[in-house]
Amino acid sequence: MIEFQDVKLAYSDNVVLDGLNFRASFHEKVAILGGSGMGKTTILKLLLGLTAPDEGRILIEGQDIAEMTPEELRIARMKFSIVFQEGALFDSLNVKENIAFALREYSDYSEDEIDRRVREIAGRLGIEHALYLKPEELSGGMQRRVAIGRSLAAGNPMMMLYDEPTTGLDPLTAANICNLINELSRGDPPQRMGLIAVTHKVTDAVKIAERFIYLKDNIVFDGNIKELVNTSNAELKDFISELFIRESYNFSH
Amino acid sequence: MDLKAKVAGLQDFYLISLYSITRAFRRPYYTKEIIEQMDYAGAGSFLIVLLVSLFIGMALSLQLSAELSALGLKMYTGRVVGLSIIKEIGPVAIALSFTGRVGAGIASELGSMQLGHQVDILRVHGVDPVKKLVVPRVISAVVMLPVLTIIGDAVSLFGGYYIAVFISHQSGAFYWGQIREIMGFETMTTGTIKPFIFGYLISCISCYTGLSTRGGAIGLRRSTTTAVVFSIIIIIVTDFVLTRVLLYAFGMSV
Repeated sequence: MIEFQDVKLAYSDNVVLDGLNFRASFHEKVAILGGSGMGKTTILKLLLGLTAPDEGRILIEGQDIAEMTPEELRIARMKFSIVFQEGALFDSLNVKENIAFALREYSDYSEDEIDRRVREIAGRLGIEHALYLKPEELSGGMQRRVAIGRSLAAGNPMMMLYDEPTTGLDPLTAANICNLINELSRGDPPQRMGLIAVTHKVTDAVKIAERFIYLKDNIVFDGNIKELVNTSNAELKDFISELFIRESYNFSH
Repeated sequence: MDLKAKVAGLQDFYLISLYSITRAFRRPYYTKEIIEQMDYAGAGSFLIVLLVSLFIGMALSLQLSAELSALGLKMYTGRVVGLSIIKEIGPVAIALSFTGRVGAGIASELGSMQLGHQVDILRVHGVDPVKKLVVPRVISAVVMLPVLTIIGDAVSLFGGYYIAVFISHQSGAFYWGQIREIMGFETMTTGTIKPFIFGYLISCISCYTGLSTRGGAIGLRRSTTTAVVFSIIIIIVTDFVLTRVLLYAFGMSV
């Protein structure tokens, strides 16, 4: 279980989060929606202890991350894996080295074993043909796949964190990434790997999540897809209007 | 930026500077990164140092030959050029060139990694960014800047020799004889301690400003500019302080 308790954060005079309260279990599939600058990515960074809140507590399985030792924090971070917008791949490393990064950093695997694992993950993600390409030679969709591959190679996370997973991608590639995300988090709770995806692309969010949170300084909405499409909040209605225009989702599900 | 943020920033800078030393002796050792950084900072800066040093030596020798000639002291050109280059101008000029090339490069590279979340990825994967990114750059700077300075000093002295002998028509043997005379422990120590400390300061300032980059392309421009400007100021101020301390340490009166 992860929990945000009255979390406040501001950058200079710009209040990003103003008393955020939020709980989620590791097997939930959550989409955090909101416009730019609403603190969506900040939530993921707070959860991983990459940013400290000004006030409030963030608990992972009941333990406040502010009180964790560096080793406890490292172990807590191992429960998650994050895929940042644009992939955040290491420019100087090729695809194979990017995927193998975590294995080389803190495992005792031989080069043969690393090679075998990288090829296995690359095959699963459909990027085995690009192992020796540099990130600059990859398309946006391929970069996201490599970033997901690197996250998977790091271990067996209980929850994947996606930062704008489909932003900047064409609709077909975005759909492929959504399928891949669903594939990785398939199954029923509590066995499956949960996810938190922060995005402003509501049409993609409904393909991968079961719970939806709309954020503006604080949580404005928290519910499932039926509650989302029937919301009475005018601003949220406007935000999700794309859903009705595109008719890209079957609401009867 | 309010006072609290400034104090926090200063504290972060001190911590990075401290950890860059203490964590250099802890496993894992990033040997590949250290060699890469040495290649970038050392071999990559060689040509610029060569050019800067050659023309500084020639200009200094030209100017001093003219001034000393008016006083009837032209024969001391080698001595004054040697002392100026080895103790003062060489270390400072090469450190400034190093800042422009390597310091700016470090700040922009780390700033870009910070903005692109690659630094976050390191932390998420349990990799210490100070060990992986800062330590190799600091080691590279404190090793390569003294090496570049020694090479640059030698090139400057050759530039000075060329002007003294072929333009100012002085004796080459006398020029080198005077250089040999000043090559004592005090001169050599002063000339090599300075670049060692400048290298440490430039790399720490550049790493800190790079890792504290915020705010997209404008933030990257700001952090790169800050790294260069602060490094230049710190080099010049530290040079003055070190000169005073070293003169005192060697018992030389002013």
